[in-house]
Amino acid sequence: MFKASFIADLEYRANFFTRILTDVFWYIAQIATFEVLYQHTQKIGDWDVHQMRVFLGLLFVIDAFYMIIIHENLDNISEKVRKGDLDLLLAKPINSQFMISLQKANTALIGNLTLGTSWLFYSLAGLPDFHYIKLLWLLMLIPCSLVVIYAMRFIFSATAVIFTRSENLQFLWWQVYRIGMRPDSMYNPIFKWIILTVIPVGVIVSIPARALLNPPNYYYIFWPLILVPILLYLTHRFWTFALKYYSSASS
Amino acid sequence: MKKSFAVFWKRNLAFAKLAVVSNLEYRLNYFIDVLVQPILTTGIEILLWFAVFKGAQSTTIAGFGREFYLSYALWSAFFARIASSWMYEFKMIEEVSSGTINSLIVRPMGFYEYYLSQLMGYKFITTLISMIVPVIAAYYYDLPTHFSRIPLAILLCFYYLILVHTISFLVSCAAFHFTKITSFTVAKNLLLWILTGELFPLDLIPGVWRERLIAMPFSSGVFLPVGYITGRVELPLVINGFISVTFALIILNLLGAWWWKKGLDSYAGTGA
Repeated sequence: MFKASFIADLEYRANFFTRILTDVFWYIAQIATFEVLYQHTQKIGDWDVHQMRVFLGLLFVIDAFYMIIIHENLDNISEKVRKGDLDLLLAKPINSQFMISLQKANTALIGNLTLGTSWLFYSLAGLPDFHYIKLLWLLMLIPCSLVVIYAMRFIFSATAVIFTRSENLQFLWWQVYRIGMRPDSMYNPIFKWIILTVIPVGVIVSIPARALLNPPNYYYIFWPLILVPILLYLTHRFWTFALKYYSSASS
Repeated sequence: MKKSFAVFWKRNLAFAKLAVVSNLEYRLNYFIDVLVQPILTTGIEILLWFAVFKGAQSTTIAGFGREFYLSYALWSAFFARIASSWMYEFKMIEEVSSGTINSLIVRPMGFYEYYLSQLMGYKFITTLISMIVPVIAAYYYDLPTHFSRIPLAILLCFYYLILVHTISFLVSCAAFHFTKITSFTVAKNLLLWILTGELFPLDLIPGVWRERLIAMPFSSGVFLPVGYITGRVELPLVINGFISVTFALIILNLLGAWWWKKGLDSYAGTGA
């Protein structure tokens, strides 16, 4: 899949390189926001500027994985529904949810993964007494974060099957995702509980960041392991439900 | 002369009406765009400012209290929705790269003009509907707001929107040469996201960067109009905004005319 995607992506080289630049601007926006705010305050939520840099590093790494593996596939669901391309997928003897979710990789963003990882290690180096053994938590928590993003984004994208045109619902996903781009400690206790359970965008970056920055809290660390199968089951149920409303566009 | 202007006006009004009708076709989609999205953005930014002030040692930041920042967060989300162009820029790029532009260039109107009028029509109806929310919220929560300054702020934002459209025109002209360039739009809009002042008030930036960023035409999209409404910015700076947008419009339109001609010369008419 990666090889085929890489060849397809390189067909339009200007677009390929601009994609990398796009995420660089996004990184600058995130870093600039917090660097400017920390000029005027000591702490945001529980964390100082050094800890916030680590949080941002994790955000960049997790987001880069999401952009490479998942984003483009789910972004195209709406177009596939409108053009009738979904018919072809439904007719194939393979799970349509799997097929529509992992058809293509965005290989241009592998460069961004390198940038994000570099920023993460740069920010970790700025922490006094950081034990690098803690990075092992990420082997478990980053895949969990990816499943959480996938599940939530998939539910937003699959609404296109019901409403036909739902581009702005996809932009709405971006707003929901933005809540998870800020540390959960910033929010009041009720809202924090909501984003860790009901709309679990807080699980995506805040929990891996807590695993690195705070003393181990096993409730936080193992909660994603319980959440992941629940979310995957819900996406499957939602996809089946949405397909009942699908009226083929190509027929 | 008078007659030709009347024809021009009627034609562009028709384009604007077309945009209003076509956007209202999918109402759920539309109302999410103009209401739900900016309300969510406002909510997220307000929570950030609460956290910033909780951790700050003083009750003011750069001379302004928390209420000023809440007001800024409220208005900036709505102005930012008006001052950006995603949908029409994607449409313009698609017209060029797919070859459907053929049907437009043979008509007695300009490609730039056709989409500018549509963008203005769309943004006009968006402003009418979406601005109700910050007006009511600012009044209800008694946030620092100069209501009498709103018309001039909106005028500056719409003037800036012409600049945004000109940039969209330049990006779409690039499609004559590169075919697939949708990521240009994303990169450009992310850059403008930083430069307009949507993320935070530009006067919080330390050092010489503050003056430089405020002097750029992009601050007319969010920072200057919102700063003017919330009392961070006074009239002379707003006038500077109009001037800097005018200079940018002259330069970018000249560049656009050249780039368009060059694009047409190399265009093979894929869809013909």
